[in-house]
Amino acid sequence: MKRLALYELNLEAQPGAFAGTLMNSSRDLVTRVCQGDQEAFRLIFDRYSRPVISFIYDMVNDRELAEELTQETFVRAFRAIHSMKPETKLSTWLFGIARNVARESLRARTRSTREVTLEDESVMDLSDHNPVPVDRLLSKELNDLIRRSLAALDEDKRLVFTLKVFHQCSYEEIAEITGFSLAKLKTDLHRARAEMRRRIQPYAGVGYEV
Amino acid sequence: MKCEVSQERLEEYLDGELNERESREIATHLATCSSCAGATAALSAERDVFSRYDRELAIPPSMWDQIDERKAAPLIIPVSNNGFGARFAALFRVPRLGFSFAAAAVLAMFALVLVAVYLRSHKPRQTVAYTPVPESSTPHEQIKSKSSTSPDADKSSPILARHNPTRRTVPAVSRHNIDQSDVLSSDLGYPDIEDQETAKHIEQTQNLLRSIRNVRLNDNDAEIDVSYDKALSRRLLNENIVLRRDAEMKAKYPTKMLLSDLEPFLIDIANLPDQAKPEDVRVIKERVQKTEIVAALIGY
Repeated sequence: MKRLALYELNLEAQPGAFAGTLMNSSRDLVTRVCQGDQEAFRLIFDRYSRPVISFIYDMVNDRELAEELTQETFVRAFRAIHSMKPETKLSTWLFGIARNVARESLRARTRSTREVTLEDESVMDLSDHNPVPVDRLLSKELNDLIRRSLAALDEDKRLVFTLKVFHQCSYEEIAEITGFSLAKLKTDLHRARAEMRRRIQPYAGVGYEV
Repeated sequence: MKCEVSQERLEEYLDGELNERESREIATHLATCSSCAGATAALSAERDVFSRYDRELAIPPSMWDQIDERKAAPLIIPVSNNGFGARFAALFRVPRLGFSFAAAAVLAMFALVLVAVYLRSHKPRQTVAYTPVPESSTPHEQIKSKSSTSPDADKSSPILARHNPTRRTVPAVSRHNIDQSDVLSSDLGYPDIEDQETAKHIEQTQNLLRSIRNVRLNDNDAEIDVSYDKALSRRLLNENIVLRRDAEMKAKYPTKMLLSDLEPFLIDIANLPDQAKPEDVRVIKERVQKTEIVAALIGY
């Protein structure tokens, strides 16, 4: 299950991986769905459900909610797939829908889930002065630290950071998904990286300040 | 290339977002600059850390079934925004006013409230014939007493109706025709809902106590039917306790004190038998008169 995001978005560029699935290009699958082929949409779901749920989870920081929103994303995708422009990349288009679904949920959700801040004790507890090398850090702790550090980013920074670092989207794709200008997304990405670095640094041994 | 320039572009370089020429320049610089090469290594290590991020997410087997079920439901057919049909339909579409509509509605309501306040404060006073209530204890009360001469007041005071025949001579005047600029409670005067409830409660209690105070006791009467007043008093007593506590919690001490003063009267009336002896009613009546509680209520 690890490193899902690192390869899943590049599946189209990896002939051979999941050969049974990739015998159909994304464009072919979209065409088949538009022609009424129900099975083609199932293949799209199989291919993209993991990156979509990972992305949504990074945005909403809630496992059950991420599952619900992933379901909603694919239902909306199915209903709107006829209007998808031919030049649009399927993954970018799906992330765009997922981003809207996640954002609507974040707007609607009451602030019952407290956002983690730098002052949060649980973050500070980990930020002691005895950093543990990353290879000795329990993976669960690292996962938890990254998750909480992500949650502490503001929404725009979290969005661009997630798309770039975990989903390997290009700046152009991020701009298409988010609607941000190139300048804004570069600034947000740089600041998000700096914030994440500051939180991860004591454990990861990442000592470089950009 | 200077190190500052190189380091500013390192993230884009590693992201693969630089063009071929820019990438070559950075690569050339990194080959000769250990500092920038170290920075690049640190950024790479950082990427490695993030690549370890495992959300431990799994796609539930039921998710596809639910999606399949939902997509089988009636669809909203997507309409292209570019076609002639869409543009033609747009001519007849109801505009989405959204926030502007809500803001306009709020402004309109605010304007209506202002007009209502203005009309109330500038309403010409009407002269209404009324029969002064006997035994009013203060001149202020006499001025106010016309509010209790309305048909509603009679309805809520059966003792008054039974034992004060002069009350029946009050001409039936519609409540709406009476100048109500000096009524005890008004919704506009009590913007807070709890204040409105308190004002209404005090008005009802005032009517009850007024009916007790003005009752004409005849020594020949063996018993007086106070069942209605008793039931009313019990209801008002419950309300009174709740409102008094609320007033105390919100530090509205004058209101709390007034409500505290009311409670003994309401308790006494509530504890009367349905067919009360005239002496029992007289005791309460005299206390109402002596303490001038009605006047205090009018002053609220």
